[in-house]
Amino acid sequence: MRHRYLLPLLAIAALTLGACGQKTTQPAGDLPRIVASTSIVADVVRQVGGDKIALSTLVPVGADVHSFAPAPQDVVTVSEAQIVFVNGAGLEAFLEPLLKNAGGSAEIVELAKDIPLREMSAQDLATEDDHAAEDGQDHGGNDPHTWTDPNNVIYWTAAISESLGRIDPANAGFYAANAKAYNTKLSELDAWITQEFATIPPDQRLLVTDHAVFGYMADRYGLTQVGTIIPGGSTGAEASAQDLAVLQDQIRSLGVKAIFVGNVSNPSLAEQLAQDTGVKLVTVLTGSLTPPDGPGATYIDYMRSNVSAIASALR
Amino acid sequence: MLEFLTAPLVYPFMQRGLLAAVMVGVVCAVVGTYVVLRGMAFFGDALSHTILPGIAAGYLLNGGDRGALFWWALVTAVASSLGIGAISRGAKLREDTAIGVVFAGMFALGIAMISTVRSYSADLTHFLFGDVLGVGDGDLLRIGIFGGLILLTVILLYKELMLLSFDSILATTLRLPVQALEYLLLVLIAVAVVVSIQTVGVSLMLAVLVTPAATASLLTRRLGPMLVLAAGMAAACGVVGLYISYYLGVASGAAIVLTCTALFLLTWAGSWLRGSRAKS
Repeated sequence: MRHRYLLPLLAIAALTLGACGQKTTQPAGDLPRIVASTSIVADVVRQVGGDKIALSTLVPVGADVHSFAPAPQDVVTVSEAQIVFVNGAGLEAFLEPLLKNAGGSAEIVELAKDIPLREMSAQDLATEDDHAAEDGQDHGGNDPHTWTDPNNVIYWTAAISESLGRIDPANAGFYAANAKAYNTKLSELDAWITQEFATIPPDQRLLVTDHAVFGYMADRYGLTQVGTIIPGGSTGAEASAQDLAVLQDQIRSLGVKAIFVGNVSNPSLAEQLAQDTGVKLVTVLTGSLTPPDGPGATYIDYMRSNVSAIASALR
Repeated sequence: MLEFLTAPLVYPFMQRGLLAAVMVGVVCAVVGTYVVLRGMAFFGDALSHTILPGIAAGYLLNGGDRGALFWWALVTAVASSLGIGAISRGAKLREDTAIGVVFAGMFALGIAMISTVRSYSADLTHFLFGDVLGVGDGDLLRIGIFGGLILLTVILLYKELMLLSFDSILATTLRLPVQALEYLLLVLIAVAVVVSIQTVGVSLMLAVLVTPAATASLLTRRLGPMLVLAAGMAAACGVVGLYISYYLGVASGAAIVLTCTALFLLTWAGSWLRGSRAKS
């Protein structure tokens, strides 16, 4: 009777062993093992660390950070890492169980830690709360989307080069020089964005987005976030008819020219809103870079692509 | 008072939302009556998960085109419901057990397919989920056509489906094609569920699938009046709920669901009061 169970057990054992054998580990060599939470964080870390670090990214390009489900190899990656760079300010709440329970000795560096965080305005907050309730992401009262202003990313590069220099003192100079060179590019980007947005008539500098992503950009370059649609078409329809009616009235009375939606959300609600109000619907990049052949393969390209899209839609 | 009713209609999204809520309400409540009679209330929720492998396949082959995803979801839902029928018949298991088995397996299959690609999120189903406030003309047309076909089938096969639901032994004695009818019913429910999910989203579909039919079953034991009552109540709750969402600023899906629930509780309390008065 016993060996009736033997075959299935053997099969399971074989499968398990096979799966273990297939485990892909990073060919790290003796480079510092670094992990970044999102593709945007990863690009900036790569700019500073160059080829002197072994870098892995947790949330893949194009994936929705809100619903990211880590696989076993992600836990392995984190447990073997020396530093995990995250945006912080509550953006990666979804990663906390993974970071906490992966084991290992990774130091978690919050890039937003020195940035003066902006409070969400009452309206941002209301919509962000619905958003949080729906995808389990806890933004709290602060706006975590720090990277939409390149001046904030200068804080990032400082934190990155400091942390990398500490675990790899031999290359500290290399990291500092890279950070300095990249900061120059960020300042150029800042100047270019100022120039681009200056071409928009002042009374047209109005943003309607699917959720409040561009707070820091709006504050820095004098744009106004008029309102947000709740991410369209999620499981629990989160928008109320009243919110949508109010937003539609605002779009009409202020003469808003375009609605901007992210690349990872279902646009059905925004599509209908744009159709009813007769304004343009423009797709922008939000929480993730694009694949290498896309318009936003690096952070700087990502910003340029978004700013061009916004400026040309509002001009 | 009149202005209270007409003010929201200024917005085209409200007009389309009301129309969609009524159509989805009627279609779902009608198939939902059979769902409630057969004791498979969690079919709807399960089906919204079993479509995941279809959506994953559609996404990998056609990208995020919602039209194509709809057909993939529909095919997967029909296949899942036929699978549920085959398992509950063939393995002589209760239907809700078969639903549990198929639901878990299909959902995991979908997750596994997505995880091989790694650049898509597990939330892929959201590409298909509609929102009662974001209903488009194409959605209205689709629910109109599919809903009409479903209602027509139910009307044409009214007697057969009634026998099947109340007295399947008699149905067998009368040499009705019981098995084919059972599968047909499962397919009808699956189509209604997928079309509704795509039009108004999951929460609303679930609400009008089960609750109005449950309420109607408290009021009558006869199939005809039960179908009509369920459809009427679902449509009314859709309209009332959307007005509540407009005036109180409550999320639309939730407002309609809660209206259905409130109606159920009122009816239940009413029938309980009547019952206790009759006894005393």
